Amino acid sequence: MGGLVGFLEKHVMPVAGRIAEQRHLQAIRDGLILAMPLLIIGSIFLVVAALPIPGFPEFMANLFGEQWQDKLLYPVNATFDIMALIVSFGVAYRLAEKYNVDPVSAGAISVSAFLLATPFTFSFTPEGAKDAVDVAGVIPAQFMGSQGLFVAMLLGLVATEIYRYIIQRNIIIQLPEGVPPAVSRSFVALIPGLVVILVVWVVRLLIELTPFESIHNVVSTLLSKPLGLLGGSLFGALIAVLLVHLLWSAGLHGAAIVGGVMGPIWLSLMDENRKVFQADPSAELPNVITQQFFDLWVYIGGSGATLALVVAMILSAKSAQMKSLGRLAIGPGIFNINEPITFGMPIVLNPLLIIPFVLTPLVLTVTTYVAMSTGLVAKPNGVAVPWTTPPLISGYLATGGKISSVIMQGINFVIAIAIYYPFLRIWDKQKLKEEQGMEQPSNQAAV
Amino acid sequence: MNILLCCASGMSTSLLVSRMEQAAQEKGVKAKIWAVSADEVNNHLKDADVLLVGPQIRYKLPQLKKAADQQGIPVDVINPADYGRVDGKKVLEFALNLI
Repeated sequence: MGGLVGFLEKHVMPVAGRIAEQRHLQAIRDGLILAMPLLIIGSIFLVVAALPIPGFPEFMANLFGEQWQDKLLYPVNATFDIMALIVSFGVAYRLAEKYNVDPVSAGAISVSAFLLATPFTFSFTPEGAKDAVDVAGVIPAQFMGSQGLFVAMLLGLVATEIYRYIIQRNIIIQLPEGVPPAVSRSFVALIPGLVVILVVWVVRLLIELTPFESIHNVVSTLLSKPLGLLGGSLFGALIAVLLVHLLWSAGLHGAAIVGGVMGPIWLSLMDENRKVFQADPSAELPNVITQQFFDLWVYIGGSGATLALVVAMILSAKSAQMKSLGRLAIGPGIFNINEPITFGMPIVLNPLLIIPFVLTPLVLTVTTYVAMSTGLVAKPNGVAVPWTTPPLISGYLATGGKISSVIMQGINFVIAIAIYYPFLRIWDKQKLKEEQGMEQPSNQAAV
Repeated sequence: MNILLCCASGMSTSLLVSRMEQAAQEKGVKAKIWAVSADEVNNHLKDADVLLVGPQIRYKLPQLKKAADQQGIPVDVINPADYGRVDGKKVLEFALNLI
């Protein structure tokens, strides 16, 4: 195990650092963060629209009329369903910031480039008609949401790269003498945006010559669908969980680093569920693995599912250190914050405690995945519950009030206690010995 | 004295902030202490005299150091053990020594 700690410090940490610091990945992560508050706000309306309380729908219908549900979902359409638009601006803004070029302009150009990649038509089949007709003059809402997320992110990066490249090259237009310098500057200011628009326009024209027909189809076939399959599988989830906890074992914020890469994938999987749920709350949801799968069922009490460890500590620890740590860690732990445990116990670089810290979440990933994919437990329905929501409440909110999912959180919690307990006992005994040794200096054991 | 703390989302450092404020009061040091997430740091640096970084995002130190150097303020990673114990007193002293 000492070898593992050495390996983490020497090989995992520098690589993780480089990935986490990579400016395009950072821009994507920070750009997505811009959309998150909106998704949580939209979720509040979604939760109310589907409250599983008997008599509630009838009550609302009496109060606000039959259309109450549709009206309640207006804010959902303006939050969830435009996330790509927000991300398009956010990614470009954050990347431009890193290059020290005007972020607002870069964001605006990126939104324009994103819309340029999107055909302004909508395929519509009128009632009674056999063939669909293309309705012109609409911005198709389907691409403004999670379905357009990858195009928005990619074009945000490409547009901003072109933008800053041209600005940094400092292109100058020579106008005849006598023309005020401000006039020539105003033309120069247009060049970066113009080049971005030209590039995206030409790409769109070229793709329209192929069977793909649109940039959205290319990205979906080559990128988002394969990534979704990989990220949405049990195998993909286990790899991600393993990486998160190996990074944490080295004292690095694994969830932030891995989430920076996987975030867009888990977010689109989450939104696929949300769309199905919104259309019909009783329908079978397509995905088990979403952002909430990890936040709410695996990382109970924070990465490593350490709330179980904290409770076991409070109930059974004999050493003064572990007792006081338990009291310190329980408050934040309920809200899934566990730095007092990871750094205070510590788990970080601790060969003994790294074992259950990595093992527990892997086991919980399997139990939850099996329970949800076999239909025993309700899947997360796409409501974006903040990761700081206490367990049990979070499971209830994230599945539209399905008790099975709350019970699953409880079962996972018990499994986590069972895995952590033997290791806690060894560690607690060691600490107790140290403490007794300190009281009687003559007995002090060699460290 | 303005002490800025940062971690991935500004959550666990905010835990430390309240402990450091207590410690500052006991010591009679007048200090403004606050925590932000790593992506917000740049907007807060100009109000800070020192920047402390949570150990879990120490991979960000090179980047944060660059930003802090531009403002001419010191920056360092908080000792992991003090961070875990939420030891406000020690971290406050650490901050004071950096300035």
